[in-house]
Amino acid sequence: MASIADFAGAQPPVYHQERESKYGLSDWLTTVDHKKIGILYGISGLAGLAVGGLEALLFRIQLAQPDQHIFVGDQFNGLVTMHATTMVFMAVMPLIAAISNYFVPLMIGARDVAFPRLNAFSYWTFLFGVLLMHSSLIFAEFPAAGWTGYAPLTTKPYGAGGIDFWWAGLAMLAISSMIAGVNFVVTILNMRAPGMTLMRVPVLAWMILVVQFLLAFSFPPVTVGLILLAFDRTFGSVFYETSMGGDPHLWQHLFWLFGHPEVYVLILPSMGIVSEVLPVFSRKPLFGHHAVIFSGIFIGFVGFGVWGHHMFTSGMGPIADAAFAVTTAIIAVPTGVKIFNWLGTLVHAKMRLTTAMLFAVTFIPQFTIGGLSGVMHASPPLDLQQHDSYFVVAHFHYVLVGGALTGLFAGAYFYLPKITGRLLDETLGKIHFWMFIIGFNLTFFPMHLLGNNGMPRRIFTYPADAGWNTENMIGTIGVVFQVVSVLIFFYNMMVSSKKGAVAGSDPWDANTLEWMIPSPPPVHNFDFTPVVLSERPLWDHKYTPGFEITVPAQREEIHMPSYSWRPIIVSGFVLLVLIGLLSHIWALSVVGGVGIVVGVYFWVSEPV
Amino acid sequence: MTWSLPHFRRAVARAPGRLLALVALALLAIACNEAHPRNTLQPIADTGDISAWFYHMLLWVDVVILVLVMGVWTFAVLKYRQRPGDTELPPQDFGNHKLELIWTVLPTIIVIAITVPTVGGIFKLAERPDPNQKIIVVEITGKQWWWEFDYIKEGINTANELHVEAGTQVLLHMTSADVIHAWWVPRLGGKRDATPGRRQDMHFIAREVGTFDGQCAELCGASHALMGTRIIVHPPAGEDSYQHWVEEQQEKAKEPAAGSPEEKGRKVFLEKGCVACHSIAGVAELAPGARSRTSGPNLTHVGGRTRIAANTLENNVDNLAKWIKNPQSIKPGALMTNLGLTDEDAKAVATYLFSLK
Ligand code: HEC
Ligand SMILES: [Cu+2]
Repeated sequence: MASIADFAGAQPPVYHQERESKYGLSDWLTTVDHKKIGILYGISGLAGLAVGGLEALLFRIQLAQPDQHIFVGDQFNGLVTMHATTMVFMAVMPLIAAISNYFVPLMIGARDVAFPRLNAFSYWTFLFGVLLMHSSLIFAEFPAAGWTGYAPLTTKPYGAGGIDFWWAGLAMLAISSMIAGVNFVVTILNMRAPGMTLMRVPVLAWMILVVQFLLAFSFPPVTVGLILLAFDRTFGSVFYETSMGGDPHLWQHLFWLFGHPEVYVLILPSMGIVSEVLPVFSRKPLFGHHAVIFSGIFIGFVGFGVWGHHMFTSGMGPIADAAFAVTTAIIAVPTGVKIFNWLGTLVHAKMRLTTAMLFAVTFIPQFTIGGLSGVMHASPPLDLQQHDSYFVVAHFHYVLVGGALTGLFAGAYFYLPKITGRLLDETLGKIHFWMFIIGFNLTFFPMHLLGNNGMPRRIFTYPADAGWNTENMIGTIGVVFQVVSVLIFFYNMMVSSKKGAVAGSDPWDANTLEWMIPSPPPVHNFDFTPVVLSERPLWDHKYTPGFEITVPAQREEIHMPSYSWRPIIVSGFVLLVLIGLLSHIWALSVVGGVGIVVGVYFWVSEPV
Repeated sequence: MTWSLPHFRRAVARAPGRLLALVALALLAIACNEAHPRNTLQPIADTGDISAWFYHMLLWVDVVILVLVMGVWTFAVLKYRQRPGDTELPPQDFGNHKLELIWTVLPTIIVIAITVPTVGGIFKLAERPDPNQKIIVVEITGKQWWWEFDYIKEGINTANELHVEAGTQVLLHMTSADVIHAWWVPRLGGKRDATPGRRQDMHFIAREVGTFDGQCAELCGASHALMGTRIIVHPPAGEDSYQHWVEEQQEKAKEPAAGSPEEKGRKVFLEKGCVACHSIAGVAELAPGARSRTSGPNLTHVGGRTRIAANTLENNVDNLAKWIKNPQSIKPGALMTNLGLTDEDAKAVATYLFSLK
């Protein structure tokens, strides 16, 4: 039987590179290597997870008991706003970006993404956006209008200066995401290894492809909304000012036209991870591989037609309500298809319950609960009760924490050994798993009851006689569990990346190309470009005679992109434009604008 | 390593699951013991009934699906494990077209079965009230952070506590004077947004006499959590009837006796600038056009309210005085100015206001 060792004999390719990358800090600032950018995204995402978690812990302490006065009014609202904004844009999205960056080129047998410098630009723009938004705590106060930023609460008369940092930060994240979207669409469609037809693209890469389309098409509407808000706040226009003919519903439509696809941006990659992890640890192929891919594509399409289900209480009228209720209910079908196919994968399997597998397996019921509660408020007559209540809080945390984050944890235990070259500790991993799952369910399951019992979301206090005391206390205890579990995970990562068992190329007996190369992979990824013969190229190499990946006799000649300062500099000018708008020092914006034009000129003319 | 000891391993593997189940059961038992005065599943009006009906219908659908998924899942996770020493590969099963068809078509049928009544429910809730029957019409305006109620026909302007009649149609015209709010009394039925520049209608027939709490459900700024409301459903006849309440409200404010503490309070009220924001019929009135963003509730019958500051405090002289002395200490960011009243003045106004039943 063929084995992974067959590749050891391959000769590394001959390089062409204008400038070799240097070491130290400047290497990280100028890198265009998708793997390093992936690591940068990963570290940023983990930092975001820590910050967002801390914010949650603080406001859960306030809510542990009725009538407390620890964080009141806009302090609490600020914590809630930043918790959601951080978790969505600065934790889960960068963690997804980390996996996309590091693994998509490896999975499809490419040497990098299509536009490596643009990729670096996306990262720096993202990072500057994050820093800009958080600097509101120093220069103003936390934005406090909720992550949904409903106008007119965000407009000048009602929203304090923190809102300026909020729209400016989000605008940078939007620029970053749209550009990354285009970059990855081009990469996945054009840079696949020979023989990798679209139906042989790994499911995770497929889901990431769908997500990139969602990013590229859903961020423009919210960016428009943010620009209108920026004009209202900075130049006194009246897009959201009703007394002058503006309309706050405009914001809601623009926001949710982004906001709903964004939900799939957050969950599809985790569905992809689960679709990779389950088969590997079941030792059999993904059940209904094509159905899983097509249902993902279908979800992506229909996801653009359901935004109104966030607005059933706003008074859109019965016809719009009915239309959005129907489209929303339709999404249940492809979602169900995925769930049933994962179950089909488990049946007759020979499961190895590693930590990665535990997380992936647990994803299924937790995500199912979130999906089913979603079916409930897809029905407007019921949603009128559940909207903006804790029932909805329970729902989207089952989807985003029980689903997206659980999937990302599965991905961490599965993929990190490829990045660090060492396995994570399984004992610590299992403690992390159990504490996290117990804490998560303690916090969020009782919230369904809170919602049924009439507790609205985003309230900083509640009376003792409303009947919400027990669930809130349990919720806070659950958060403590989750926080401790994530700290254990961080500790595990730090220790294991130095002292963990050496992973080798293929620690899990996996299916896809990224596992045929050393861990961590060399700069050029593959010594030779593999020819792909099936949807499980590495598995078939190992187990299916006639499907071996052959090592070419000749060394390949390749061109590797050089490091570049241009992306981070142009990104800095974008930041400058926004700082100028925030501070009303217009000269800064002008300098930034000119800088962008000049910078892009030098960028384009730089030899790579 | 201890990890390989099978006993320990099994114990560790089972303990969290059992512990979770036990703790969850215990806590659920406690939670079920609490009184739930805002239970959406015990509606007191026709609209709430519709929502609750959909809840129960969808809950059953969900439970059946969840039991199915969890059943297969539990069975698979318990049964299909790799046993130690077993190196043989399981059957390499790539899928099954018939199964795919079944689990696409069946859910589609379920979805259709759900959406048909859903669309019916949407249009039922959007029906207009019957114009041939009595309708109580109330204009309701959300304001940071309280609710204004205008009974135009009856000529009543009041705040935070909505009075209606059991068995009679009530039609609410909802809007907002500043940011978006949402008026929600869970036992009555669903919430609706009160959006500036827009009017949204909501109607219901309450059938149970009593007092039911609710609050703003759309984040509306610092004191969003303290923007409560209350609906008081009166019986159609008797001493506590709705008609009786209306007649009471239509009267002007009670004249305090000369030399009484109440009269002193009224003097403070008139002198300290409260009249810049508050009306008291017969004492000082704000023209509706003169209202600003910060102007406050009509106080003509404030003593008759059960709670003050938008269902935040019990209505009594002490609480009124506390509120008047320092509104922001009770509601962060409250838009009522702290006029720096002395304890004595605050007490006097409070006594006066409390007498305005
Ligand atoms: C700047 C305008 C303003 C001034 C001046 C003002 N108030 Fe108010 N008042 C308000 C607002 C606004 C509210 C509603 C606050 C809330 O519930 O968030 C309010 C609420 C109240 C309430 C509670 C009413 C209820 O139904 O719950 C009382 C009582 C009251 N004010 C008394 C006074 C007195 C007495 C003074 C003078 C010492 C005064 N107010 C001065 C704006 C004002
Ligand atoms: Cu409100």
